[in-house]
Amino acid sequence: MDVNFRKIDIDQYDEDVLNEEELYEPDRRDPSQVLNDTKAKSAAVRSALSKGDTVGALSTVLDQAPYGPNVEEAKNLNLQTLVSILNTTKATEIPGIVKALSTDAQDTLMKYLYKGMALPGWGDVSGSVLLGWHEKLTEAAGVGCIVRAMTDRRTV
Amino acid sequence: MSGPEVFPLAQIPITSHAFNADRSQVAVSLNSKDVTIFARQGQEWKATETLSEHDKVITSIDWAPNSNRIVTASQDRNAYVWQQTSDPQTGNTIWKPTLVLLRINRAATYVKWSPNEDKFAVASGARAIAICSFDPEGDWWVSRLLKKPIRSTVLSVDWHPNNVLLAAGSADMKARVFSAFIKDVDKRPAPTVWGEKLPFNTICGEYTSPSGGWVHSVGFSPSGDVLAFASHDSSISIVYPGGPAMYTIKMPSLPLVTLTWTAEDSIVAAGHDCQPYVFAGNQGGWDLVGTLDDPHSQKSAAGGRSGFGGGSPVGRLNSAAFNTFRNADSRGISSLPGSPISPGSTESELFTVHQNTITTVRPYDGAPGAVTRVSTSGMDGKLVIWNVGSVTPINGVAGLTAKIAGLNLK
Amino acid sequence: MSNVLRPYLAAVRSTLTAALTLEDFSSQVVERHNKPEVEVGVSKEVLLNPLTISRNENERVLIEPSINSIRLSIKIKQADEIERILCHKFTRFMMQRAESFIVLRRKPVKGYDISFLITNNHTDTMLKHKIVDFIIQFMEEVDKEISEMKLSLNARARVVAESYLAAFNS
Repeated sequence: MDVNFRKIDIDQYDEDVLNEEELYEPDRRDPSQVLNDTKAKSAAVRSALSKGDTVGALSTVLDQAPYGPNVEEAKNLNLQTLVSILNTTKATEIPGIVKALSTDAQDTLMKYLYKGMALPGWGDVSGSVLLGWHEKLTEAAGVGCIVRAMTDRRTV
Repeated sequence: MSGPEVFPLAQIPITSHAFNADRSQVAVSLNSKDVTIFARQGQEWKATETLSEHDKVITSIDWAPNSNRIVTASQDRNAYVWQQTSDPQTGNTIWKPTLVLLRINRAATYVKWSPNEDKFAVASGARAIAICSFDPEGDWWVSRLLKKPIRSTVLSVDWHPNNVLLAAGSADMKARVFSAFIKDVDKRPAPTVWGEKLPFNTICGEYTSPSGGWVHSVGFSPSGDVLAFASHDSSISIVYPGGPAMYTIKMPSLPLVTLTWTAEDSIVAAGHDCQPYVFAGNQGGWDLVGTLDDPHSQKSAAGGRSGFGGGSPVGRLNSAAFNTFRNADSRGISSLPGSPISPGSTESELFTVHQNTITTVRPYDGAPGAVTRVSTSGMDGKLVIWNVGSVTPINGVAGLTAKIAGLNLK
Repeated sequence: MSNVLRPYLAAVRSTLTAALTLEDFSSQVVERHNKPEVEVGVSKEVLLNPLTISRNENERVLIEPSINSIRLSIKIKQADEIERILCHKFTRFMMQRAESFIVLRRKPVKGYDISFLITNNHTDTMLKHKIVDFIIQFMEEVDKEISEMKLSLNARARVVAESYLAAFNS
């Protein structure tokens, strides 16, 4: 007897069911524009870093971070820019910097820290750096910041 | 101002509580399919009656103060209205249940009487809200469903003071304002800031939580012109529809799950952080002003608190599951890594009055708009009555974070 | 406690605290069911972003939160063949007795060595910070346990070899 019909996922035909892409507001910008914006930001970050303005550099990179589908390239570029900032910051300066960030920037930074730790291969390079930032950021922004990193579907 | 009154009613979670009009009795659901009614006797609460009709966990209870009716909602997809009548055989007063035809096929999650007590709203996991009204001809409660555009389980509802508008918060990360106008029950309402013509199922407003959290709790201000909602991204948002402005406070602590307005410019909200927070503001902006739970008075008050229940000091955490777990966990608790608490501290209690998530906060004393006391109940089986006036300020973000680190990261 | 391990465990601790904000949630797909949404995985809106905390390539923790349950998976450090065998035996021993550990899952998530499933029933009846303590303590102990077993295994092998070879000595 044919029993394959038992394995059909009938729930996928439920009209009311929420899909992944309906859970957040999509980015209105065009993917190519997002990439250009990110490249421009990357340059701005380099100039800010050369002036020693870490807070300014971080705020720039965390502002309007690319999210959603179709912008993988921009996402990776932004992560690289961010990691370069994180790597060059002295451990003693971190608490002051994370306190100076806005709440939104703190939330976005937290998302990037988790993303950095989740990527295979990155862990060996900067695992302890990311953990150090994570600790200081949690001290400054509280566990609420981590909760928002979990709830926000606009994954970076 | 005196401190909070603490009543450990049980060792098991209280899913919901509702007081009667004169606050002499309270109906609670102890994470079970029965409602237990406690009556106040001096400083203690004694269980007097048990209402059993549901066959799954009761999720929500509401007690109408004027008509003295209780409505209960449960995960068994049903709601019952309980009314006191005298038993024809014995002559005793008993609570008689009436089944409500909800027409939903998933769990009922939240229930609330309308201000005039002629309707109630039942939120459900069927992506719908049932608006129930009494049909005298059939002698039963009938319902109409608010369906569109709800996309997920509705977690909470709240009535506008005009008895027509209804706010709902749901797991699809939205807070919405609906019209629940029922022709046979309601008179045509006066225009409000939410709209003028209001046929059933009109959407008067739809608001998304700032960082994509489920909307756990919604509440209209006493005037009905402002809406507040708490969501799982540890934030509370206050909406002025006329504004059109929306203020969001992102908390550094764990998410809030329940809120109540104490005045037009003040909200008490509580949740996973085990303490009630007070927010204050107006059209110009909103801020967190403090907590009702004074962490510094806890140590000295602890002895007095445990005295209320008459139990032994260790007794309140003495559930079997907890003991099983503690035994499994008993080796070397004090020297944990990453712990901000100094080594050697074997304190197993939190510094707050509630020891676990607060699930319900309700006004206890005072007219709407001038609430002087609120009651909270939580997973730790405690019922606590707080003075709204005795707010302990939180000194900046650093102080709060440090305290939370001590609370939750222990 | 080594200084490298501390921020790792602190990160797990704070993430776990943030994730343990559970509530009772009845299934919106199947009538009168109430099951861990993280395991069912059908209703997307009640699942949250999974978070990874990694110390290095070989030591990672994955936390998958949802509205009424979280799944926490640990990848235990395994530097060589012996540690891999010991780790396998150790986790297998525990998982076969999962019911006495309450929050332990019988099968690990793919890519990890051991998984825990914590539901709202656990956070209702047990103290949340004690569950967190338990997990952290477990992570700390398991490394220690495995390196101790490795040492005693090596020591035993040496004794065996010595007494065996002693026969050829005379």
